[in-house]
Amino acid sequence: MKKLLSVQVMVIFLFCSVISADLPARALQWQAGGITADKNREKNIRIKDAMGRSVEVGLPVKRMVVLTSDALEVIRALNAENLVVGVNSGIARDTLFWPGLKDKPTVGRWMEPNYELIVDLNPDIVVGYARHPAQDMEKKLSPFGITVLRLDFYKIRTLLKEVEILGRILEREKEAGQLTGWYRKKMNFMQKRLKDINDRPDVYVESYSKHQTTGPGSGGHEICVLAGGYNIASNFSIPYPQITPEWVLANNPHVIIKATSLSNCYAMSRPDPLKSIRNEIMSRPAWDNIRALQDDKVYVMASDIWTGPRAIIGTSYMAKWFHPDIFRNFDPEKLHKEYLRKFQGIKYQGVYVYP
Amino acid sequence: MEDICQQYQGVTGRKISFIILLALVLFGVSIIALSQGPSSVGFRESFAALFQDSGLAHGIIWKLRLPRIVMAIMVGCGLALAGTVFQAILRNPLASPYTLGIGWSAGFGAVMAIIFGAGLYNEYLIAGNAFFFALLSSFLILGIAKFKRSTPETMILAGIAIMFLFSSLSSLFQYMGTMEEVHEIVFWFFGSLSKVGWKEISMASVMILFPIPILLKWSWDFNLLAAGDESAKALGVNVDAIRMLGVVLASLVTAGAICFTGVIGFVGLVSPHITRMVIGGDHRFLLPASALVGAVLVLTADILGRALWAPQVIPIGIVTSFVGVPFFFYLLMKKTREYW
Repeated sequence: MKKLLSVQVMVIFLFCSVISADLPARALQWQAGGITADKNREKNIRIKDAMGRSVEVGLPVKRMVVLTSDALEVIRALNAENLVVGVNSGIARDTLFWPGLKDKPTVGRWMEPNYELIVDLNPDIVVGYARHPAQDMEKKLSPFGITVLRLDFYKIRTLLKEVEILGRILEREKEAGQLTGWYRKKMNFMQKRLKDINDRPDVYVESYSKHQTTGPGSGGHEICVLAGGYNIASNFSIPYPQITPEWVLANNPHVIIKATSLSNCYAMSRPDPLKSIRNEIMSRPAWDNIRALQDDKVYVMASDIWTGPRAIIGTSYMAKWFHPDIFRNFDPEKLHKEYLRKFQGIKYQGVYVYP
Repeated sequence: MEDICQQYQGVTGRKISFIILLALVLFGVSIIALSQGPSSVGFRESFAALFQDSGLAHGIIWKLRLPRIVMAIMVGCGLALAGTVFQAILRNPLASPYTLGIGWSAGFGAVMAIIFGAGLYNEYLIAGNAFFFALLSSFLILGIAKFKRSTPETMILAGIAIMFLFSSLSSLFQYMGTMEEVHEIVFWFFGSLSKVGWKEISMASVMILFPIPILLKWSWDFNLLAAGDESAKALGVNVDAIRMLGVVLASLVTAGAICFTGVIGFVGLVSPHITRMVIGGDHRFLLPASALVGAVLVLTADILGRALWAPQVIPIGIVTSFVGVPFFFYLLMKKTREYW
């Protein structure tokens, strides 16, 4: 009898908790109808986002929450930083690089933001990656009339198209044109010089973890090929496979590139963290037999210029390392300076590569 | 009487021959592992290189392949031994370094050392921290057992709770971590033998090999524990001491086995069972045989993991389960009588 009673109590408790969990969501949805009606749009445009979906955006966009630092960089380049009303919590920690955003409200992590905080800020659009945050973001935010825009800005192949899309949405076509024009010019310069090369050096690209390389489908593979290198993992079938150190030794690459995601490279004044990563590679057992180590061609590169809008700078460094003769008079650091000054409005500082 | 003696010797002889057979299998598998690899160093060169002092082949064999093999054997031995000891002292077939949460807490300790020692990769810190957390959780389990006079089932439940706690803590690190740390943790949970060099092996070997003679010495006590605490006490076994020290030593072995290689979970649970199905529960034979089974399992899994999808490596933690689970099911189905 006692047991039965406790089971009943438990069932009632469970039932109550389910109901109460559902209530706020319903209340919000009910309120949301009112908010949607408040927003008046002058015109609507349709764009294709990074997932290939057709998204309708009401113009003008006056308030936006941006979850990715890649998108923020492009937004700053389009001179639209003033439209940003909320950012991810990582931005607040990087105040040197984001002086204009340091006092903006934060809405949580880029891959799992707090939707309530977003709704509170009442933005017109929220910008996230194609795959992060998860698809529930649309479901949660659309009842409030907030448009979710998914643009990656980290793949060099789709970057320019996405910049143009964002330019249209923010009605900054001119600025977008300037950025894509600059990008194309620099890219063409590099590709023209690389057009006639017949020997691509064999390159081992190591991702963030030890003995994990980057195969086709990864950003690392893409920029390695663009920079005129031959990725020794070119015929792999997964983007970030584990490999054995012996496989690297057997392939005997000419160059080794190591990616690192050290945060806050902009605030860094000494190369020590990058140097210690390189030293670890140089001291791996039996790797002293690899050409890259013998010729001292082991390079460490920070993720700031590895992927994202600055991938062109990472690519330039690689091109210079792969083909020092062709790019003898070319200075990737100068390119970086130019980009930061021209499009980001900040002065160049920090350490991004070693050596 | 003589007949019984003869029968006993016969049974013992079979058990000893099983152990010898396992040792031979392990030797054979090691030779295969030594001669397999993506570089041009083939079967013959591998053995020639064993006796060279320098050169590429020497480097490949001595610095890349051998450490991998030695570590695989030690990890397999260590986890299997720890599993056997945990099963004996808790009298529970579900006990193993991972089902008791000790593997997870040791892992958490290692991950913590890897992340907070950013850049300062320090094997002493990693091993020490792994051991510290392994001990912490094993004492937690023992403490619960002692204060509440609880059954072995409660210990397993406590262990599973600890497993969730520490895997959540590791996930929290993963959630908060930078891209690099996230990759590091994810890879840690796959398990990998690639990161191990002689320095790590020397650290791990102290933690794994030193407790072995002590554990072997206690085999009779473990046997008596199977009859229940009261009977064991009546027969002169210091049950509390054995249980306490057994847990400490098994935790040390567990920490040594996983702190440099990551999660290789299944071995500790099934190796004792596989062995028990074949030669029964006498710990004098069960302990060494189970250790050898564990070693064969891990080393075979590593060879397959490197070969099946070469040159991409399928992480050892994943392959171990792929190899172990079907084999375990096969034995379970084949064995009609109860063996535990």
